[in-house]
Amino acid sequence: MDDLRDLARTLLESGEVQVVIGWEDGRRGARPAFVTAPEGAGRLIFDTRCVHNLATYLNPRRPQLTGLGKVAMVVKGCDVKAVAGLLREEQLTRERLVIIGVRCGGVLEEPALPRAAELTPATVAPRCYGCDNREPSLVDYLVGAPQPEPPPPAMTIDDRVAALDSMSPQERWQFWTDQFSKCVRCYACRQVCPLCVCERCIADKTMPQWIETASHPRGNMAWNLVRALHLAGRCVGCGECERFCPVDIPLSLLNRKLQQVVADRFDYVVADDPEKAAPIGDYRPDDRQEFIK
Amino acid sequence: MSGERFLGTEDLAGLVGDLLAAGTQVIAPAVAGTCASPAALASSACLRPGAAPELIQYLSIQDPALLALGRGMPSLSLKSFFLPQNEALLHWKQRGSAIELEPAPVERRRRVVLGAKPCDAAALEILDRVMRWDYVDELWVGRRDATAVFTLACPMEDDSCFCPAVGAAPDGTRGADGLLTPVDGGYLVEATTDRGRELLAAHADRLKDLDALSDGADLRDQAEAFRAAARERVAANLQIDAESVRAWIATHYDDPLLTALGVRCNGCGACSSVCPTCHCFDIVDEPDGVGCGTRRRCWDTCQTGKFTAHASGHNPREDQNVRFRQRINHKFSIYPLRFGEVLCTGCGRCTRVCHAGQDLVEILATIDVAARRGEPEPTAAGEGDAA
Repeated sequence: MDDLRDLARTLLESGEVQVVIGWEDGRRGARPAFVTAPEGAGRLIFDTRCVHNLATYLNPRRPQLTGLGKVAMVVKGCDVKAVAGLLREEQLTRERLVIIGVRCGGVLEEPALPRAAELTPATVAPRCYGCDNREPSLVDYLVGAPQPEPPPPAMTIDDRVAALDSMSPQERWQFWTDQFSKCVRCYACRQVCPLCVCERCIADKTMPQWIETASHPRGNMAWNLVRALHLAGRCVGCGECERFCPVDIPLSLLNRKLQQVVADRFDYVVADDPEKAAPIGDYRPDDRQEFIK
Repeated sequence: MSGERFLGTEDLAGLVGDLLAAGTQVIAPAVAGTCASPAALASSACLRPGAAPELIQYLSIQDPALLALGRGMPSLSLKSFFLPQNEALLHWKQRGSAIELEPAPVERRRRVVLGAKPCDAAALEILDRVMRWDYVDELWVGRRDATAVFTLACPMEDDSCFCPAVGAAPDGTRGADGLLTPVDGGYLVEATTDRGRELLAAHADRLKDLDALSDGADLRDQAEAFRAAARERVAANLQIDAESVRAWIATHYDDPLLTALGVRCNGCGACSSVCPTCHCFDIVDEPDGVGCGTRRRCWDTCQTGKFTAHASGHNPREDQNVRFRQRINHKFSIYPLRFGEVLCTGCGRCTRVCHAGQDLVEILATIDVAARRGEPEPTAAGEGDAA
């Protein structure tokens, strides 16, 4: 942790950046930190509670941060895929950002603990299992000691998606209808998503009202499916939408299913290379089109 | 207290059965989410070996066996039973230029809430002030008038609770008609309004006089000890002078302490959804087909940009710092100034639900220090050096 703090202090002292965005210890566990003075660098932490994908603070829908100046951001390997997504979609200028990567051995499902806890199948964030980017490469600095691989969760996200796939369409429809019926339409999933970048979301458009705002089954189904589809091939699987959901809708299962479909149809897996075009922004003459009859 | 009577656990179930049999709707904390297949796939907590997590919510129950009194705080407040997430205001039909309007029926079915958190009941009384203000909101008032509320003395949920700091109490009856306090084998029940007394009188066969019980005095001591311990426990979480906080906020609109509160806030509005006192709504017209539709009102939140977006494209609350200040300002300054009550009952749900670490206990403590000393404490609101 000392190397992270020393680096943050140096960057702030030299004036290379005006704010370092990382994690700190809050009253209720780890939380995002915005360090603007060199003497504040000692607040920064990195441990298994540093769950938040801070890349969401680089999203252009954050006018409260534009006045803070040039940013240095601490990222895990999963978070940096979202940074790459913002660069890929030209929402961000690489030169205006210093990226501090941390070597990561996985995080907890929830950060609200007074101190770091060991990862076990019961506590590890399910998305960490099988992580392909524990040492981020799209970085200016890489800090921390190499970490062991995270343990598998009690049931992996892929196994849960497979269990849903094995249901009959009626059962699966019922499952999602039940889950979406809980939705209170707060749009926390959208607000926290690093890649929900639309200046004006379709859910907020009223002329015409494409998606009904009332939290009845019709409106809830429309919102949740549109959100998921708009992130197909863009979602990095950070799971923040599910973590922020106040009514525990398992959005990760929907997002993972779409990742699988995109991998199958377009041979595309979201990575931290901003130059690799995502299917949604890429046209290929040999795209399969057998569904057009 | 002479009005207290004993309600055994079995008699509570019997009372619920009697109410249901009489056609009264019963709302109570109950187990909402189960880990039964296939819903278990939705929750990684359910998939852990040997795990049996309970999700407690206020539910309209049909079976006394579902009661889950005193088993933790419902993650959503009682608000939706009085101001639903969405509700029809009227239906319309249009033929040519003729429009027919059919107002939605005003709900009048009798209801009893058993085991409400005192902070959730207090919110009802605080909201009555705006709902019965210049325009009387018939839907809210209709539901309030049809509903008797009994709170259940609360042991305190966790370190996000601060009800005494904002004028509520873990054993309070504000907004309620009576109070249950857990004791060995059941509850002590006390009615505090005529409506509460009538309800108890109508179900006197389920209640026992304390003086007639051999351990009556002991039960009374138990109940008082439970309440006193809860009051002491929760008072330790936060102590503020609400009036000086109000005055300070009103006179420090542009203070750096109030203008940098939203740096880490994602503007997700989950705090408003779970808040028992947030009551803003949006009214929308939704078509039900060609030439007909429904006007509905839906919960809204000041934490999104759309809330204040003008048709011109201008937005007077252009970023999250300003929107979060509005949240604090409305709850702790504007509403008390207009209605004489803080628009907060200290339930702590906003802090618990915020995965970005916004912490109302910490924010209020910081403002309180600033109000007492006349100037803000640096860095304490968690905005770090930016504050």
